Amino acid sequence: MKTAASTASNPRAMARGHADDGRFVPGQPDMWAFVLFEALVFTSYFTVYVIRRTQSSDLFLQSQSHLDLRVGVFNTLVLLASSWFVARCVQAARERSFRAALNNAYLTMLFGFVFLVSKVIEWTTEIERGFSFTTDEFFSFYYFLTGIHFLHLLIGFVFLGVAVYQLQSPARRSQEMVETCATYWHTIDFLWVLIFALLYVMR
Amino acid sequence: MSAAAVEAAPAAPSGSLIRKIAWHWRYDEKRELWIGWWTLVIFYNLYGVLFFVLARTQPPPEPSLTPAEIVQWFADRHYGLLYGYALVFIVGGATAIMNATLAYTMRRMSVSRAFAYSYLVIYALATLPGMLIMGVVCTVGAMRPDRDPELMSWLYDFAFLSFEGTMGVFLIGSLVWMTAVLLDKNRVFPKWFGYLNLCNALTEVVVAPAWIFKRGVFAWDGAIAWWINMAVFVTYTAVFLSLLRKMILREDFGTGPLPELESESTGALEAAS
Repeated sequence: MKTAASTASNPRAMARGHADDGRFVPGQPDMWAFVLFEALVFTSYFTVYVIRRTQSSDLFLQSQSHLDLRVGVFNTLVLLASSWFVARCVQAARERSFRAALNNAYLTMLFGFVFLVSKVIEWTTEIERGFSFTTDEFFSFYYFLTGIHFLHLLIGFVFLGVAVYQLQSPARRSQEMVETCATYWHTIDFLWVLIFALLYVMR
Repeated sequence: MSAAAVEAAPAAPSGSLIRKIAWHWRYDEKRELWIGWWTLVIFYNLYGVLFFVLARTQPPPEPSLTPAEIVQWFADRHYGLLYGYALVFIVGGATAIMNATLAYTMRRMSVSRAFAYSYLVIYALATLPGMLIMGVVCTVGAMRPDRDPELMSWLYDFAFLSFEGTMGVFLIGSLVWMTAVLLDKNRVFPKWFGYLNLCNALTEVVVAPAWIFKRGVFAWDGAIAWWINMAVFVTYTAVFLSLLRKMILREDFGTGPLPELESESTGALEAAS
C-alpha cells in the first residue's frame, strides 16, 4: 500500500500533484472516463463537419468569411484565461490557501460568464445580419457546435458551484472534488479551442 | 424468501441448462431481479430485430421523400410493418418490468425515493410516443396502402416525429439517473456511469434540429441527429446492462453500501499488499 512517505519520496508523483492516496490522475478517475467519452463524441461531430466541408468547400469558405475572427480570438482568450484561473484554484487548494482558491474559482466563473455573454452577442449579431441556423450548412454547423459547447459551459457552472461549495467550509474541502470540477472546466476549454480552429481559422 | 428456505437450498447443479434454470427459479433469492435483467436483455435484442430487420423503420428513412415515394416506402414494408408491429405490441408491456428493474437500482441507493418515482413515470411516458404511437401509425399506413398519398405523407411524418419526440424523455431520464448515481453513497454504480448518463443526455439534445431540417446531418436520419446519437445510446445501453448485472450479483438486500464482488475484493487486497 502506498504511504505519504513513499509518495513524498517520488518527485514525479509530487510534480503531477498527487495526493498521498495513490491516485494517478487529478480528481476522480471517473471524470476522466467522461472526458474520453466526450472527446470521442466531439471527434465524431468534427469528422462529419470536415467531411461536409470537403464536399462543399466553396459554400463553407464563403459563409465562414461572414464570421468575425476577432470575436473568435476574444472568446478563446477569455476561456483560456478562465482555465488558467481554475488551474490556480486547484494549486491554491493543494497548498491549503482556501481563500485564494475561492477567489480564483470566482474569477473562473467571471471569465466563463464573459464568454457566455460574448457568445450571445455574437449570435444576435449574426442573426441580425441574416445568418441563422437554417441559412446554409456552414451556419447550421456553426450554431450547432457553438450551441452544444455553450450547453457544456452552462453545466460547467454547476461543477464550479460544487467546487466553491467544497472550498467554502473546512468541514468539506475535498481536494479530489475540486480537481474533478477543474478537469471538467479544462475539457470544455479544450473543446472550444478545437471548435475555434475548425469554424474560424481553418480555410 | 426466508432464511430457512435459503439454508435448505441444495448446491447449484452443474451441467444441464434446464436444471440450472430450475434451481435458480426455486432457490435463488435474487430470482425477481434476474427476471428483470433478462427481460431487459431479451427486449433490447427483440427491439433490434423488430425495428431494424422486420419492420425496417430503423435506421429511419429520409424525411424529404415525396408523397409517391412514401407510398412506395409503405408498400415495400407492407408485411414487415404489419407483422413486426403486431409482435411489438405483444412484447410492449415488458417495458413495465424493465423500468421497474432500473428504478429498483435507485431505490437501493442512499438517495430520495423521488428519483426512482420520477424515472418510472418518465419512461412509462416514453413508451407511448417512442413505440406505441409510432407502431399504430405505421400499421395504419401499411393496412390500407391505397389511401391518398397526401394522407400517407401525413402518417409518415407523424410516425417518425413521434419517435423523435422521446428525446426529451431520455434527456431528463438520463439526468435523473445521473444525479442519483452521483449523490449515492451506497456505491450501487460507479461514478463514471453517472457521467456517462450526462454524455447520453447531451447527445439527446442534438436530436432537436431534426424538428427543423428535412435533409442533411441534422435531419431525423442524419449522421449527427441519428447515427451518432444511436452509437452513444447503444454503448450506454450495453454499459448499463453490464453494470446492472454486476449490481444484482453484489446485492445483499441491505440498506447500506453494496459489498464488492469477492473476486474484486481479493484482487484489491492482492494489489494493496
